[in-house]
Amino acid sequence: MSATRTELPALHLAGVTKSFGPIEVIQGVDLDIRPGERHAVIGPNGAGKSTLFNLISGMFPPSSGEILLDGQGITGLSPHRINRAGLARSFQITNIFHRLSVFENLRIGVLARHGVRYGLFRPISRMRRVNEETAEVLERVGLRARGEDLAGDLTYSEQRALEIGMTLTTGADVILLDEPTAGMSREETAEAVELIRSVTQGKTLLMVEHDMSVVFSLCDRVSVLVYGSILATDTPERISANREVQEAYLGEEAS
Amino acid sequence: MEFAIISTLNGVTYGLLLFMVSAGLTLIFGMMGVLNFAHASFYMLGAYVAYAVSSIFGFWIGLIVAPIVVGLIGMAVERFLLPRVHAHGHAHELLLTFGLALIIEELIKLFFGDFPVNYQMPADLRFSAFSVFGSNYPFYRLFIGGVAVVMFAVLWLLLTRTRTGIVVRAAERLPAMAEALGHNIPMVFMFVFGTGAALAGLGGAVAGAFYPTNPNMGIELGVIVFVVVVVGGLGSLKGSLLASLLIGLFSSFAVGLDWSLAGLFGLFGLGDWARSLGGLMTLELSSVSATIPFALMLIVLLVRPAGLMGEPN
Amino acid sequence: MASMRTILILAAILLLLVAVPPFLGIAWQNALVNVLIASLFALAFNLLIGQAGLLSFGHAAYFGIGAFAALHLMIAVEDGFDFPTPLLPVAGAAAGLLVGIVAGYFATMRSGVYFALVTLAIAELFHSLAPHLQGVFGGESGVSSMRMPWQGIVFGSIIEVYYLTLGWVLICGLALWTYTRTPFGRLTLALRDNEQRVRFLGYDAHAAKVIVFAISAMFSGVAGALLAISNETANYSLFATDVSAQVVLQTFVGGSTVFFGPVVGAAAFTLFSFLVSDLTRSWVFYQGLIFVLVMLFAPTGIGGVVQFHARHRRQLDRSRLAGPYALALLGGLLIAGGVVYLTETVAVLFGQGYAVRMRDAVDGLPNYDLFGISWNPVSILTWLLPLVLVAVGGVILVRARRSIAGFWDRVGRSDGPVETKAAAPGGPA
Repeated sequence: MSATRTELPALHLAGVTKSFGPIEVIQGVDLDIRPGERHAVIGPNGAGKSTLFNLISGMFPPSSGEILLDGQGITGLSPHRINRAGLARSFQITNIFHRLSVFENLRIGVLARHGVRYGLFRPISRMRRVNEETAEVLERVGLRARGEDLAGDLTYSEQRALEIGMTLTTGADVILLDEPTAGMSREETAEAVELIRSVTQGKTLLMVEHDMSVVFSLCDRVSVLVYGSILATDTPERISANREVQEAYLGEEAS
Repeated sequence: MEFAIISTLNGVTYGLLLFMVSAGLTLIFGMMGVLNFAHASFYMLGAYVAYAVSSIFGFWIGLIVAPIVVGLIGMAVERFLLPRVHAHGHAHELLLTFGLALIIEELIKLFFGDFPVNYQMPADLRFSAFSVFGSNYPFYRLFIGGVAVVMFAVLWLLLTRTRTGIVVRAAERLPAMAEALGHNIPMVFMFVFGTGAALAGLGGAVAGAFYPTNPNMGIELGVIVFVVVVVGGLGSLKGSLLASLLIGLFSSFAVGLDWSLAGLFGLFGLGDWARSLGGLMTLELSSVSATIPFALMLIVLLVRPAGLMGEPN
Repeated sequence: MASMRTILILAAILLLLVAVPPFLGIAWQNALVNVLIASLFALAFNLLIGQAGLLSFGHAAYFGIGAFAALHLMIAVEDGFDFPTPLLPVAGAAAGLLVGIVAGYFATMRSGVYFALVTLAIAELFHSLAPHLQGVFGGESGVSSMRMPWQGIVFGSIIEVYYLTLGWVLICGLALWTYTRTPFGRLTLALRDNEQRVRFLGYDAHAAKVIVFAISAMFSGVAGALLAISNETANYSLFATDVSAQVVLQTFVGGSTVFFGPVVGAAAFTLFSFLVSDLTRSWVFYQGLIFVLVMLFAPTGIGGVVQFHARHRRQLDRSRLAGPYALALLGGLLIAGGVVYLTETVAVLFGQGYAVRMRDAVDGLPNYDLFGISWNPVSILTWLLPLVLVAVGGVILVRARRSIAGFWDRVGRSDGPVETKAAAPGGPA
C-alpha cells in the first residue's frame, strides 16, 4: 500500500465546506481516496456524511474548497458532468425508476455509458451490445429472474441491489454508496457485502456505513466524520483503537 | 408627473387586487401542495354571486354574502372532491381543479349568459376621491385597495395572534407533527381552503363592480395570478405581494407608454432602420400591455428560476 | 410487443379510414378531418404528459404556430414559390420545433405545477401578442390563403384534404409510436419516474426535457398545419386557452397512460361536438363534467379501463360480469338523462329568448319546449322527473359498482377497472 502514496488520488477533497444559511454543515474536509481502495466514512447521525456525498456527486455545490476526480476539478459541476467524468453514486433512500422494468432501470445507465444518450433514430431492441451489457449487470447483481418485473414491485433488498447495479452501469471507476445495507437483516447484509465486494473489484469505493462489521469486512481504510470535519483516517483496526474516535463516536454507541 | 401618479395609484390598486386572489392560492399551495386551478373561478363566482344578491338585497349585502357562499363552495371542494384524487398525486389534483374551473365557467354562462352582466357599484360610492392635475380620481379604486389592505391586516392578525392561526402555520411546516399533537389537521385544511376561496370571492365581489363582470373574467385574471405566483415563488406570501404590486405597476405604466423597440433603436440612431422592419419593432408598449406580465415572467425565470422569494428546488 | 390481435384491429381501422370516407357526405368528411387533426394533436400532447410526465396547459401555442407557418408557406406558394402542397405541414413541423425549443427551454426550468403554469403563460403570451402583430399573425382578422394544385391534384375537395390529412396523421402517429421504442423514448419514461436519478446517471435532464418538449411541439405544429390546410385560414383565437384545454380534456378522458388512449378521447369528443353542437349550447359544460367524472372515478381514462380488461381477459367471467356492467350502463344513462334535462332546462329558462317571453307573458311563467314536449316551469313534475332519474340512476350505479368491485376483489385484482391504482401521470409536483 505504501507505493500508492505517490499515486494521484482517485478522489481528492481539500478544504471543502458547506453552509446552509448560518449553519456550517461541512467544516473544511480534507480527504484523499487512493485508487482501488475501499474507503468508508463513518460518523454519528447528523455528522454530515450524506451532505458530503451530495457535495462530491454534485447534488449541490460546496461553499468553498476543491474536489478533484483523478486530478480533474469537479467542484460544483452538475451531477451529469460529474457522472461522465467517472463518478457514480447510490442513494440512501432507494432512488430507482419505480414504473420501469428492472432491466430498463439498468439499461438507462448502460445507454449513457455508450453515449447514445439522446438516440432517436434506432430502435433500442436492436442495440445488441447495450442489451448484452445490461443483462450482464443484471446477472451480477443477482436480479436475472426479475428483469421483466417493475422495479417498484421488488423487495426492499432487491431494490437495494438494483440501486447498486445502477451505479455500476455508467462505467464509472469511482463508486459512492450511501448506506447500502441500511435497513437490511443480518443475512441480507452479508449478501450485500459480498455483492459490493464483487462488483467493486478493480474500482474505487467510497461508502457511508453505520454497520461496523460491514466496514471491517469490506474496507481498507475508514474516515471518521464528526460535526462536519474529519477526525481521523486510518485502517479499521487502528480506527477502532483510536481513543479520540472512541470518545467522539464509538464510545457513545458501543457502550 | 400626472401620468406617473395616476399610473402608480392604478398599479398599486390593481396589484392589491391581484394579491387578494393570489394570496389564497399561494396559502393553499404552501399548506397542502395543491395548486387550485379553479381559484380564479372562485373570484368570478364571487362577482356573479354578489351581482345576483345585490340586484335583490343591495350592494353591501352582496358584498358580505358572496365571500361566504364562495368560501362554502371551496370547503365542499376540499372536503368531497380533492380527497378522491389525492392518492394519484398533485398532478391529478391540478387536473381536477382544472375541470372544475371549466365547469364553473360554463355554469356561469348557462345561468347568466355569455356576455357581461350589469354589476355596478352603488351610487354613493361613485364619486371622485380627489383630483390631480384637473382629472378626478375615482374613489372606488381606492376602495378596492382599501378592502384588500383591511383584509390582509385581519388575515395577518389571525395567523399571528390566534391559536388557530398558529396551528395553521404549524400545519404548513409539519402537518404530521401538528396532527400528532392533537390538532384536527383535516379541519384546518378545509378551513384554509375555504378562507382562500372566500378571499378570492371577496376580491371578485369588490372588483366586479368596477371592472367588467363576464364569464371570461376568471381565466383572464387567472393567468395573471398564475404568473404572479411563478414570479413571486409559489407558497411565499411575501413573494406574491411583491410580484402582485410589480405586475400591477408594470401593467398600468405600460398602458400609457408609447415606447417601442424602434424608439429604443432610435436612441442609437437606428430608429429609421428599425421602423422599416415593422412588426415587433414598431409595436407600442401600450398596445401590448397585456403581454407585459408574461414577458416579465420569462425574464424572472431566466434570472431567478425559483421566483423572487421562492426556495430553489 | 404488438400482438397479432392488436395488428389486426389496427389494420381494420386503417381499412375503414381509407375506404369509407368517399361514401360519406361533405359534413362528415370534414368532421373526420377534424377527428384526425385532434387525434394527432392529442398524441403529440400526450408525449409530454403520458411519457415525460410534464403537464402542459399551453399546447395551443405550438398548434397555432404550426397553422400560421403553414399558411405563410401557402401564401408563398400562391405567389409562385414552387413547393409541393402535400408537404406543407413540414412548415408547421419546423416552426413548432423551433418555438418548442425556445419555449421548452423556459418551461422545463421548473417542474411539477410550475411547469404547467409556465406553459399556460407562454400560450397566453402568444394569445395577447398575436392580435397586434399584423405581419406574422395578420392582426385580429388573421391570415388566409388557398390550397394550390400540385401534380394534377387540385386539393379543391374535402376528400382530397382528408387523404392528405390521413397520410400525415398516420406517418406522425407511427413516428410517435416508434419514438417509444428508441433509447430516447426510454429515457423519457425514466425522466417521468425519477428525474433526479437520470441526472446522476450522466444525462443532462434539462436538455432532455427540452428535446421532448420540442418534439411534442413539432408534432403539435404538424396538427396545426393540417388544420390550416383544411380551413385555409387561421387567427389568434387558435392560441386561446380553450384550445389548450380541449387537448387536455381529450387526452385524459381517452387515457394518458395508454398510447392510443388520447386518440380515443380526441375522436369521441370531436365527433360528439360535431353531432350535438347544433342541439345544445352546453357542450363544453358536458365535456367538463365528463372530464371531472373521469378524474374522480376512472383516472386512467377510457383507454386505461379498456387496457385493464384486455390484460385480465382470462379472468373475465362474462356471464357474471354482464349483469353488473349492464346495470352500471343503465344507471349511468339515467343519471346522464337527468343531468342533461336539468342543464337544458336551465339553458332555456335563463336564456334570452325566454326572458323576452317572460316579459310578454300575461300571468306567471310561460311553458317552454324541450325534447319536443312542452313543460310547465312551475309544475312539480318538471323538476321531479330529473331528480328521480338522477336518484334512481345513482342507486343503480352504486349497486353495480359494488358488485363489479366485489368481482375483481374475488379474482384478486383489487385495482379494478375503476379507481385503478395505476400511478398518476403527473411529474413530481
